Parts: sequence; C-alpha cells; structure tokens
Amino acid sequence: MKQDLLRQAGYAYNFDRMVYFNREARKAFSVEFVEDNGEEELKKRIQEGGEPNGWRFYFNSPPSDAVRRELERALG
Amino acid sequence: MADRTIEDRLREEYFDLLPNIRRVIEQLEAEIKYHLPPISHTLARHERLEVTSRIKECESALGALRRRQEGGTFDSDRPELYSLSRLRDLAGVRVLVFPPSRLAEVDQLLCEQFSSWTSDPFRDENVLGHKYYGLCPDASDEIQGEYQVASMLTGLFWEVEHEAIYKPTPSLKGVARSLEMQQHSQDVYRALRNFEDEFERLAKQEKSGS
Repeated sequence: MKQDLLRQAGYAYNFDRMVYFNREARKAFSVEFVEDNGEEELKKRIQEGGEPNGWRFYFNSPPSDAVRRELERALG
Repeated sequence: MADRTIEDRLREEYFDLLPNIRRVIEQLEAEIKYHLPPISHTLARHERLEVTSRIKECESALGALRRRQEGGTFDSDRPELYSLSRLRDLAGVRVLVFPPSRLAEVDQLLCEQFSSWTSDPFRDENVLGHKYYGLCPDASDEIQGEYQVASMLTGLFWEVEHEAIYKPTPSLKGVARSLEMQQHSQDVYRALRNFEDEFERLAKQEKSGS
C-alpha cells in the first residue's frame, strides 16, 4: 500500500498543505501525485536522491517559485 | 503599509458576492422544496426526507479554494488566478433520504427539474448519493449553486465529520485527503451502504409477507 511505503520511508502527512514530506530527505509528495501514480513509481521516487539545495517536490504540475518558497517555509 | 495578500483580496471578494450567494440559496432551496411533496407526502412511517441548506462561510471558502491548489498553497506572484466565484458550492442544498429506493426517486425527480445542471460525482464512489451544480438564472448569473441528494446515514456521518470536526478546526480539513483517512472513510461508506441495503431488503420482505 502506498501509505505503508511512505510511512516506512519516514514520510509524514502535512494536512494543511496536503503533502507527504520527509525533512531529512527534503522531499515532498503532493496527495495528487501519490493518488495518480502507482506504487512502483512512488517507490522509485522515494529512492531518488534529493536536491543539493532546498527541497524536491513531486507534484503533478511543478510548483512555481513562489509556491516552492512558501512550502519550504511551511515544511521547515 | 504591507501589500494585501491573496487571502485579503478573496475576503473582500466574498463579501461582494454574498448578496448573490444569498439569492441563489433562497431560490434553490425554494425550488427543491416545491418539487418534493409528491414524494414527501407518500413516505411510509420509517422513511425520511429532509432538506437543509447552507451558505459556505468566508474562511471555509478560502480554505476550499486553497486546498484545490496542489500543495495547498496560493501562488502569491499570480493573484489573478484565484476567484471564489469558481467554487461551485458557495450556496448548497442537501436532501437527505432514507431508504435508498426513495433516494433514487428523489434524484430522478430533481434531475428532471434541473436538467441543465451538471453531475459532479462524489470523490469516493462508495458514497450513496449524487451531486449537481448549475446556475439559478433568476437569482444570479455569476454564482453557481450545488445540490446533493444523499443517504440520510451518510449525511449524518458528514455532519459529525464536517460540522463537529472540520468546521471548528478548518486547519484539520486536509486530514480527509490523507491516504489513511480515505481508506477509513471508504470503510464507513461501505458499512452504511450495506446497512441501508439490508434494511430495505428486510422492510420489503416484511411488507410482502404481511
């Protein structure tokens, strides 16, 4: 199950932003992305490395710079 | 002075729209109640039909529009993208019905009366109910209304879920989209549906046996 994959990889759900995030990996998945992609795709993305600077966001539509800034601030 | 945020601009828009929202809710509720007596006057003692209406509150509307954005975040560089008039449920009427066969009758009757309206299925296919949106041209050509026809048990579950949990604590609203909660909600909808179907089956059996 997708929620088990995310939980085991250390992702928590932020219910204000509706994203699954991992502060250590600095990666976040939108619920839309998680719902629209299969378990294999999700597993692959979880295993990918993060960004050297800042967060990596897995969204169906890539977030704009302003949205990225706001999410990075909110996720800490 | 600090620049106005998108939320500030949307709050102002909400109160500009409010007179129109009020007109839509009055019109929609009146029309729906006008059409229902052929069914409501023939209900058996155990059957129920209730009509309620509500105007979405300002902060609830803002939250709903924000949660429509992926990542639940407005793009502060593009405020022109956002308008509350895009929400379809600023003015909403809910018809709760028990048991399911009566629900189907009510749905069919209202579909005939609101034939130009668009069906908007519930996200969860286990929900026993239907949802439609459209314009009430006599009330407003700007604000769309929404009506739902749903099983009474499901509606009462929503009242607890929405009115008692999320409404006083809007920040919790996104909980419903988590995979875990979606799974639990599906289980609840399935259980309620099974209960209603079985109740109706037994009621019919009792009627045909008597």
